Amino acid sequence: MGLLTNLRDSISRVTDGLFAADEPKRIGIYGPPNAGKTTLANRIARDWTGDAVGPESHIPHETRRARRKENVEIERNGRTVTIDIVDTPGVTTKVDYKEFLDHDMEKDDAVRRSREATEGVAEAMHWLREDVDGVIYVLDSTTDPFTQVNTMLIGIIESQDLPALILANKTDLPGSDVQQIANAFPQHETIPLSALEGDNMDEVYTKIAEYFG
Amino acid sequence: MPHQCTTCGRTFPDGSKEMLSGCPDCGGNKFQFKPAGATEDPSADEADQASGSPAGPSGSAVDPSDRTPPAPADEPAPDESAADRRPSESADETPNEAAASADSASEADGTEQIADRSDEDTAQASARSEVVSPDELDRASRDVEPADAPPAEEEPQPGIDALRDELNDQFESIRIVSPGQYELNLMELYDRQEYIISLQEDGRYVIEMPDAWGIQDE
Repeated sequence: MGLLTNLRDSISRVTDGLFAADEPKRIGIYGPPNAGKTTLANRIARDWTGDAVGPESHIPHETRRARRKENVEIERNGRTVTIDIVDTPGVTTKVDYKEFLDHDMEKDDAVRRSREATEGVAEAMHWLREDVDGVIYVLDSTTDPFTQVNTMLIGIIESQDLPALILANKTDLPGSDVQQIANAFPQHETIPLSALEGDNMDEVYTKIAEYFG
Repeated sequence: MPHQCTTCGRTFPDGSKEMLSGCPDCGGNKFQFKPAGATEDPSADEADQASGSPAGPSGSAVDPSDRTPPAPADEPAPDESAADRRPSESADETPNEAAASADSASEADGTEQIADRSDEDTAQASARSEVVSPDELDRASRDVEPADAPPAEEEPQPGIDALRDELNDQFESIRIVSPGQYELNLMELYDRQEYIISLQEDGRYVIEMPDAWGIQDE
């Protein structure tokens, strides 16, 4: 059995080596619900491919299944970086259908959305373990970043040695505090942006090319 | 003597385990059932012995020690406890037995209906002697349902709370507080090899088995 496992590992290492240069890196966009992950994914996809990734919404857990946009070619400083963008459902430790009732939703719909959101978190965690080569961690800069979810996810990303870029989103909003985000995760570089307005996207693309190219 | 070997005629009390492996005397495995009649005559015992002997030579040779002991006196209502344990079966069986009893009784002559009632519990006796009323059936089925059914109106399936608790014990990465309310253990979800594809309404999970080669390839 051990022999078989070793053989399998060897084969996968060889194949990884063969295709490493050709295969685009798979970059997961992670973060808590309503941080603007889908808005960012759509912004990147529209800027470089013309298509969108998925619908955006003010209601939390709009994205309940990971969505992927493949072969996004980003040009920076004369070179092209090709990545697959994975927009993941917002990660949280509690999902309660009651929070959806405030958004004019019937109870049945809210319960179903809640169940799907829970499945989405499970999926996002699974992808983080199995299937991403780098992480763009999106935070809402108008909210407190010191949460259990953020600490845990950043910890997992660090333990995996995944390259990670922290984005302080929603700088267009009056309560935005980028420094608070930077202070929360001083070991990582924090880039401010407004995915909605497209503010500071140039720096974001430069950093994506630098981190994941 | 509810049961009689059709080969040698030996009789067995109701509930006897002896006959389960064949007649101990002749090895026969065919028995006829002689139900107790509706007669409540306390002198039935003697009458049974007297009328039973012509039916088979060894008919009266039943050792009292072989008989199944009667229901303990401290069990107040054996029929109720039986109904609780097997609600559907008892509801189904009772009319059948009663019907069988009615058929046999109509064929048999009066003396054969007389039985030794001392080693028969009251539930069997009453089931055999009278047909259960539709009201009683209805009541029995209704008595059982509330015991198993959950108090929550939105969950019609019985035992769903127990099922949920059991699943939560086994699978702590997602705790279902109530329908639509979940608590997630992110580290557990991350550490698990299995990937939860979907949650079912009744608390079950659909998972992708780990190490399923090629399943990630699209």
